[in-house]
Amino acid sequence: MQLNAEHITYIIKDLHYRGIVAEGLQDELVDHVCSATEERMQLGDRFIDAYNRVLKSFGHTQGLRETQKEVLRSENFKTKIMLKNYLTIAARNLRKHSFYSFINILGLSVGVAVCMIIVFFVLHEISYDKHHEHANRIYRIKSEIIFGGNHWNMTYAPAPMAATLPLEIPEVEAAVHFRERGSYLVKRETENIKEKNVIWAGNDFFKIFTVPMLEGNPEKSLEEPNTMAISKRTAEKFFPGESALGQTLILDNKWNFKITGVYEDMPVTSHFHFDLILSMAGLSEAKSPSWLSNNFQTYMLLHPDADPKAVEDKLMKLVMDQVAPQITQVFGDDFTIDKFKESGNKIEYTLQPLTDIHLKSDLLGEFEPNFSMAYVYLFGAVALFILAIACINFMNLSTARSANRAKEVGVRKVMGSFRSHLVRQFLSESILLSFLSFIIAIGIAYLLLPVFNDLAGRQLSIPFQSIPFYLLLIGGAMITGLLAGMYPSFFLSAFKPVNVLKGNVSLGMKSGFIRSSLVVFQFSISIVLIISTLAVFNQLNFIQTKKIGFNKDQVIMVEDADALGNNRIAYKNEILKNNMIVNGTFSGFLPVSGTWRSDSPWWAEGKNPSQSENMVSLQNWAVDYDYLKTLGMTIKDGRDFSEDFTSDSSAVILNETAAKNFSFDGSPIGKKILTFQGDEQGVNPDETESLTVIGIVENFHFESLKENVGSVMLFLSKRPQGYISFRFQSQDTKAVIDLLESKWKEIAPDQPFTYTFLDQRFGNMYAAEMRLGKMFAIFAGFAIIIACLGLFALTAFTAEQRTKEIGIRKVLGASVASIVVLLSKEFGKLVLIAFVIASPVAWWAVNKWLEDYQYKITLGWSLFAVAGLAAFVIALLTMSFQSIKAAVSNPVNSLRSE
Amino acid sequence: MHSPELLKGTLQTIVLKVLKDHGKMYGYEITHRVKELSADRILLTEGALYPTLHKLEAEGLLKTEIVNIGKRMRKYYALTAPGKVEAKERVAEFVDFIRTMGNVLNVQMTS
Repeated sequence: MQLNAEHITYIIKDLHYRGIVAEGLQDELVDHVCSATEERMQLGDRFIDAYNRVLKSFGHTQGLRETQKEVLRSENFKTKIMLKNYLTIAARNLRKHSFYSFINILGLSVGVAVCMIIVFFVLHEISYDKHHEHANRIYRIKSEIIFGGNHWNMTYAPAPMAATLPLEIPEVEAAVHFRERGSYLVKRETENIKEKNVIWAGNDFFKIFTVPMLEGNPEKSLEEPNTMAISKRTAEKFFPGESALGQTLILDNKWNFKITGVYEDMPVTSHFHFDLILSMAGLSEAKSPSWLSNNFQTYMLLHPDADPKAVEDKLMKLVMDQVAPQITQVFGDDFTIDKFKESGNKIEYTLQPLTDIHLKSDLLGEFEPNFSMAYVYLFGAVALFILAIACINFMNLSTARSANRAKEVGVRKVMGSFRSHLVRQFLSESILLSFLSFIIAIGIAYLLLPVFNDLAGRQLSIPFQSIPFYLLLIGGAMITGLLAGMYPSFFLSAFKPVNVLKGNVSLGMKSGFIRSSLVVFQFSISIVLIISTLAVFNQLNFIQTKKIGFNKDQVIMVEDADALGNNRIAYKNEILKNNMIVNGTFSGFLPVSGTWRSDSPWWAEGKNPSQSENMVSLQNWAVDYDYLKTLGMTIKDGRDFSEDFTSDSSAVILNETAAKNFSFDGSPIGKKILTFQGDEQGVNPDETESLTVIGIVENFHFESLKENVGSVMLFLSKRPQGYISFRFQSQDTKAVIDLLESKWKEIAPDQPFTYTFLDQRFGNMYAAEMRLGKMFAIFAGFAIIIACLGLFALTAFTAEQRTKEIGIRKVLGASVASIVVLLSKEFGKLVLIAFVIASPVAWWAVNKWLEDYQYKITLGWSLFAVAGLAAFVIALLTMSFQSIKAAVSNPVNSLRSE
Repeated sequence: MHSPELLKGTLQTIVLKVLKDHGKMYGYEITHRVKELSADRILLTEGALYPTLHKLEAEGLLKTEIVNIGKRMRKYYALTAPGKVEAKERVAEFVDFIRTMGNVLNVQMTS
């Protein structure tokens, strides 16, 4: 028997009434009940009896509902669906409040991008020299020597050290030493190319360091004199398309070197990048038995189970056994090692792990400028701070807008949501946001990286191929999302539904303490960064403009003047004919780092050389007659070198420090200073050489301003080498270069013409500081931008909350200005507090940094005032946009709808 | 009549097997068929059947088809391709289970 339409409508209505509403199940149960009822009616029951019996078999309303619940649960009790629901709602919320979402995502993604770049940078810096197979067993000798008023911390060790180590100390498996001799002119046939990364190295180089040999035998390649190994890129440069092995290159137009090996280019993360490794077997200097002169960077490979401390002790004993007799030999019998130490001198050799070099070493004679661990920490901290600022934006916006969501929370709770559900809901929202930001951040980082590379002098790239990178990203996004969402989610989910739905909660505006502290925190960090940046730039400016004792502007330095051979004087005279050129001088010793240096101990005539306090360690600079004039140095006392005095060949000019250190009786002019004669085989204690002081030159800085001015003497050399420098007087530097180059090409067509400017070289001495300053400026900029984004949104929100209040105030006669002040006051106060907190922190940090400099700025209040004012003005501008917008709006619009 | 406790674990297997043998069916039809096959000894309660059907559908083992019959809808269930495989596996597993139970309880199976 078929049910009629009336019956079916009844059943549908009744089931609905009993609470069966689930989509999909409702129709199904209707059909089921209908079918069952029909069957019962077939047996003769009346409709209503049949229907009741069927309902009974379901368990009446209770059973029906139970079934529905079971069905819903079986369908929905799957994490995927649950997450999907959370995400859908999160996405809807983000879209609904697109302004806040935009601010959140923008701030977070910029923060993450900056953070990402810094992380790449830090990872790069800590990966130096880890590629060597024996990296953790390789040590470099660090020497500390105090002698003759000088204090050196350097990488240099005596020549015989490398050969002695494996023989005398059983823990040392192998040792290698290096000798730098500057750059070389290299040619295959005619055209010279200047090669800068040239090193003399011992045979065990390839045994100790992991530098894969492409051609040739790594064990034998540096065995013979006049052989060398070259890098792949050098081989390709000189021998394109052919094998370099067995070929010959000519160095400095004189020496033939046979290529016995070609090795893989050294990775960026190595603290040296040699392109030509010359066999030490051919360097006579390396055979010197002297333990008193230190010229060789020495590395050793220890046995796997060796204790470096024990090796250090053995090393010191070994050195003392060698040094003591040599000191006595030089300075006379009564000069023992104990006396040497008593008078405050020191010779100490320690071991430095290879992997520490890039970040923890800043010695005299580093192959390349290193980085500093302190800066790694600093950058790491900056990265964290920027990320924190971005996360805080998110937290502040979420909690501030909580009032808007309080109703939602109330309704959800009434509908049976647990607190955990709400926490999960809010967390998934923040995680979604964080994932979005991370994806955008990759894009931003990709765009910013070239700029950063340029600034930092690195070649970083985003490791798109690396799986750990993605895992790190996902992990980072999760953690950031959790951190940023934690506080808002617990805060929001804690609302009591009764209060919320009654409208008792104005939580958005109150509960501001935490939010205010977070804003203060953001701005404190930003202000610290601004102050630090200003201080770094101030210091740099101070260095650039300080009186340095010579005139660094308008001097051009031409390298390798020796390549001109006997035509050098002719070249100089030819150039001087041009009226743009004021003066010219030959000398490799110039007052910027990277030029030549040489020092030896001297004493004043009449004093006893065996008393070490009488010894003055001096820079010995070989110059010519025009040196002081060309470089613009000032004679303080006495006179400059002059061709009118033939005796000037044994004359000397001292700088003020040197004159003071010699402690002459009376005027130094006319006094003699003496030294031992020596050659590469060591000093000869029986013969002395003397020079007469004719003048005192005002102190000039010749190393970074981190150092005090050391003692220098200038003497005339018959044939000074290295650079030829010209002082010019012309705005047209291009014409000067063209003049120098055209004459050069006439005289020495095969030699490369390379030049630099003195002021540029001077600037390069502070390149690291310059970089630091710029990087800081950029990071400080980002920090403040992100912080301001947050502030911008917060003010927007406040203004929105207070539209009615503003409307009423305006109706009652408040001016636009007073309303702007009213709205800005709250956050302006916070910026002020931030400034008070930030100032001492910044003061401490900047002073810590300045400790390294002998010559430095003093931190005045003006610097802090400028930084504070800058932060305040930026914050004010950010806020005023929203405040003014709110203040000028017509009160009619905000008041009419109630 | 068998105890519902015994049936609990086998409900999905029964549904899958019945659908495998008879093609598409609707809920009431399934209860009916099972009742017939078991000679009234297995009664599927609606409270257990529908959650099972919906769960199997959510897992992708069943597909549904809605047919309009007069004033009401009828929802037909049928096995999907993975459902067919699953049905076969479940039955095999159950037969194996019965054999194991036979050994454990030490009773002779008549068939």
